[in-house]
Amino acid sequence: MDGVTLDYRLYHDRAVTLRETMLNLFNRKSSTEHFRALDNVTVHIDQGETVGLVGANGAGKSTMLKILAGIYRPTSGTASSVGMIASLLDLGVGFHPDLTGEENLMLNGALLGLGRSDMKVLVPGIAEFAQLTRFMDTPVKYYSNGMFMRLGFSLATAVDPDILLIDEVLAVGDAQFQDKCYRRIWEFRERGKTIIFVSHDMEAVSRLCRRVIWLSEGRVVKDGQPEEVLSGYLESSQRRLSDPTASPREWGSREVWFDTVTIRNVRHAPSRTFRRGERLVVDVLIRSRLPNPVDGVIFGFSLHRSDGESIIATNNLELNQPLLRIDGSSRASIEIDLDIEEPGAYLLGIALTDPTANKDYHWQEYFYPVTLLEERKEPPLRLSGAVWKQE
Amino acid sequence: MASWSSGRLLLLMESLVSKDLKVRYKRSVLGFAWFLLKPLFSMIVYYFAFTRILRFGGAIPHFSLFLLTGLLPWNFFSSSLSASTGSLLDNHRLIRSIYFPRMALPAAEVVANLIHLLLALLVLESVLIIFGHYPGLSIVLAVPALVLFTLMTAGIGMLLSVGNVFYRDVKQFVEVLLLAWFYSSPIIYPLDSIGVDIVGSGGLLTALKFNPVAGFMEIMHSVFYAGTWPPAWCWISLCSWSLLLLLAGVAAFRKAEPVVVKEL
Repeated sequence: MDGVTLDYRLYHDRAVTLRETMLNLFNRKSSTEHFRALDNVTVHIDQGETVGLVGANGAGKSTMLKILAGIYRPTSGTASSVGMIASLLDLGVGFHPDLTGEENLMLNGALLGLGRSDMKVLVPGIAEFAQLTRFMDTPVKYYSNGMFMRLGFSLATAVDPDILLIDEVLAVGDAQFQDKCYRRIWEFRERGKTIIFVSHDMEAVSRLCRRVIWLSEGRVVKDGQPEEVLSGYLESSQRRLSDPTASPREWGSREVWFDTVTIRNVRHAPSRTFRRGERLVVDVLIRSRLPNPVDGVIFGFSLHRSDGESIIATNNLELNQPLLRIDGSSRASIEIDLDIEEPGAYLLGIALTDPTANKDYHWQEYFYPVTLLEERKEPPLRLSGAVWKQE
Repeated sequence: MASWSSGRLLLLMESLVSKDLKVRYKRSVLGFAWFLLKPLFSMIVYYFAFTRILRFGGAIPHFSLFLLTGLLPWNFFSSSLSASTGSLLDNHRLIRSIYFPRMALPAAEVVANLIHLLLALLVLESVLIIFGHYPGLSIVLAVPALVLFTLMTAGIGMLLSVGNVFYRDVKQFVEVLLLAWFYSSPIIYPLDSIGVDIVGSGGLLTALKFNPVAGFMEIMHSVFYAGTWPPAWCWISLCSWSLLLLLAGVAAFRKAEPVVVKEL
């Protein structure tokens, strides 16, 4: 995609009738407003890349997929692609409720460029993958929503595309089928297919994609390694969280305060994404305005879920660690080791208090978004032993 | 972007048409027979209205067969237009999630109706023979006439289908338009093709000949019912209107397509 811009006409009331148009014509005023869904976006995706698209609702992710799929023509700029595209933007769209599963498969193969003879060969496999072999002669209107989606997914991925566009459709069926879907997508990835994946499931994006593009208001904010882009995205999205309890809060007398705060990994690189087993380090520079040095300062930290639920809150006093003594300025750090049971986005908070003077110097709650992910290890498996026996 | 070979396009058309045919007669007892029964019933109604009440059909021998030669193609025309008007709107989910040449949607409606028409015309021809209306050599002209008329229908269908996306009024308007169009076309009455003079030969006749459908209907009447060679004006009218409306339809569709996809 090169400098792609796409405008929508924006209606404030969808009921447009001829009468209104006539009136507008006579009044010589245009009632249409334009909404720029994508603004001068240039992206080049190589063959075999797995790219995740993230961004808030309305950021232009789906529009970008639709342009890549050829559904929308850019208002300006050019978009081109090489190879056959399969788009999983909406599942089972061509299906007619009155036709049976098999009839629908036969007829909708044509949309993907498959003729009757090709489909005859593929239908049993598609039905089996969807776990619907027994229901192939049932009209799809009697299918449950999950069955319908399963059939749609199986059909869409039965062809062997060069490029796979996926828009948040994997939330179909039960956990077992979702697993199957992911496995099929992984298979595509292993076979060197190009995959472009839109999802709000950061965990899925970080697992599947080797590159992430973050879109906001129709523009590319960041484009690069998943860890880097995702943590930036999560940080900004948490800042905009509407829930007042989870938005960053800062208070205290600030007689002693956090001057600079760096969250880093053990390799001394600033980071907001940590995998299981990775140590999180908070480096702080603390300054004091008080004339005398203060002793016995408590340095605490907390971790909340992104919705504000408190998970961990502790400090050096509670864990029998040395308390701080601040004289003018001082550097301190906390090294945090976490057992990540549930990967996801969390909010880190830190605090400086003095219980003897009964003072809260500086609190920063819900302040630093961090992403905690499952571990990735190379190699992912290690042989710990194997025994051959013969009776 | 995604390039569509003609083979793939043909495959798509075939699948859209067979889907249409399959769906239409699901859970219907008489099924396919309805395409014959519908014009047959309207033929009976018109027959009684015109021969018993208005006393006008008497001048035309086998008036019921004459009616059928006009009603069958008209039925094709009006069903195609009604169906293609809504074709884009009805398939909005499909259009918004997969790329394919969307022109195939209104076109498939026309082709599905054409298949019905061809079968019905076969039945009509056998009935005509039974009643002694043997086809002349001119019957071969039915083929080019039908081709041209189908192209014209597709052109109008494309215009209406994109129009309906912008203004839902189009669907309502089409109903009224078809009613007026029906009575101003030589379907239940002849102009000058079969040697029966009902309209007369004044300004009215000339005006009626400008109707895009008039030429074709007169050709149908003369080759099927009368077995005569249709007058030249019919061909001039049919050819020019077909070309004009097809080009207008395709051009409008092409122009509106990128906007339509976003409007749906």
